[in-house]
Amino acid sequence: MKLFTTNTKIILFAFFVLLVGTAKVSAQRVIRDTVHIITDSIKPNGEKNYRAGWGVLIPEYAKIQYAGSMALISVGGGWDYGKNKHWETDVFVGFLPHYSTSKNKITFTVKQNYIPWRITAGPRFTIEPLTTGLYLNSIWGRDFWVAEPEKYPNSYYAFSSKIRINVFAGQRVTYNFEKQRDFFRSASFFYEVSTNDLYLLSAVKNSYLKPKDYLVLSLGVKLQMF
Amino acid sequence: MIRKLLLSFALLPLLAGCDMFDSHPYDGQITGDKGINAKNIARIEAACAGKTSIKFVSMGDSQRWYDETEEFVHALNERDDIDFVIHAGDLTDFGATEEFMWMRDIMNGLNVPYVALLGNHDCLANGQDIFHTIFGPENFSFKAGNVNFICLNTNALEFDYSHPVPDFEFIENERDRQQPEQSKTVFAMHVRPYSEQFNNNIARVFQSVIKGFPNLQFCINGHDHHIQADDLFNDGVMYYGSASIEKKSYIVYTITPNNQYTYEVVYY
Repeated sequence: MKLFTTNTKIILFAFFVLLVGTAKVSAQRVIRDTVHIITDSIKPNGEKNYRAGWGVLIPEYAKIQYAGSMALISVGGGWDYGKNKHWETDVFVGFLPHYSTSKNKITFTVKQNYIPWRITAGPRFTIEPLTTGLYLNSIWGRDFWVAEPEKYPNSYYAFSSKIRINVFAGQRVTYNFEKQRDFFRSASFFYEVSTNDLYLLSAVKNSYLKPKDYLVLSLGVKLQMF
Repeated sequence: MIRKLLLSFALLPLLAGCDMFDSHPYDGQITGDKGINAKNIARIEAACAGKTSIKFVSMGDSQRWYDETEEFVHALNERDDIDFVIHAGDLTDFGATEEFMWMRDIMNGLNVPYVALLGNHDCLANGQDIFHTIFGPENFSFKAGNVNFICLNTNALEFDYSHPVPDFEFIENERDRQQPEQSKTVFAMHVRPYSEQFNNNIARVFQSVIKGFPNLQFCINGHDHHIQADDLFNDGVMYYGSASIEKKSYIVYTITPNNQYTYEVVYY
């Protein structure tokens, strides 16, 4: 009885080549960059650093937002950056029930936040008296288009029913958890007042529309992980 | 101090009211009055029963002209000689849910009943679903005294042949349902034949079918944003178009027993 079939031999050979190859690469890395690799993926206190290398792409926080012309509920994450983390960029996927229309809908939102100030209020709380920025919202479905279909004469409707641009201003309060205790470092609760291009266009030249008509409210939670 | 600050912070959105939590401009979340055309048709038919002289108003294309529409409502409420109003369509500019509700709330201020037609802008995005819920079917008819009013969706360009526009099955069923008490007919549509929205391949077919109705008086339309009075097919059937409400005008039609009618453009 043959101990190895031809196929097994090929696999073993391939595995050997792979092993040698990997050994060669890691040997080079050890010589060149040993210290760097250790400090990048392991923190001084010995914890694993999930955000080393490609890990920076892991969102630093999760956000859940209710209403705000984005969807009924939008769930997403994002990254904070800049001096004193004044900037935050979020990405959301939202769910919009069909209500009186025929289909449930999914929305997608990219949101840019600017948070100019942070006020420490007691040992655990931080207040951000102003959050502001804009977000682009896209709604999925056949009924919505970015540019009007070719069947229409040029500039027939001259707007996109799919993409909405929103501007907002809001406030936020953050509770900072005790260190090393929780998966989340802090939880922030926020509200925002916003409007979008369609509501603004409607409001201009119409005194009939009041702020409560063209301004929109939303509530949200931000959970900081890193 | 901190507690006070936090409390006022938390109360702010509550004070503003729950109406302001908007899911999406195209969410289709409708609050308030629904099924308006059916309710108002019942009022029109009850008030006009037995009448042989009818006086009604056509107006339309009120999209994004809320102030002007409100002025129209005030102007019309000053008079007491009108039986009902036909809004010739384009209640909205973007087909957004809120736009339909804003326009409905203004038009609901009319003392007389009104019906609304589906305009091409009202078909944008999921606007047709919203129109259906707030106002009703896209094709409908009602009786005002001895006149039968047939209101049609003629916005063919919005429907890609997936949907019959104009719906000849509906029109033929209406013809079969004619009652002898309604000896006259008026057609109302947002878009008239030979408009870029109309299915112009069947324009003449459409004309010959509607001429089969008893004593066709005339047709009314909107869409072109200026006053129109045209014998489109050179066959004596007039098409009267109301201007957009921005121009602050409406048309009053009086249909009288001796088989005559008059129309008058009123500026307010």
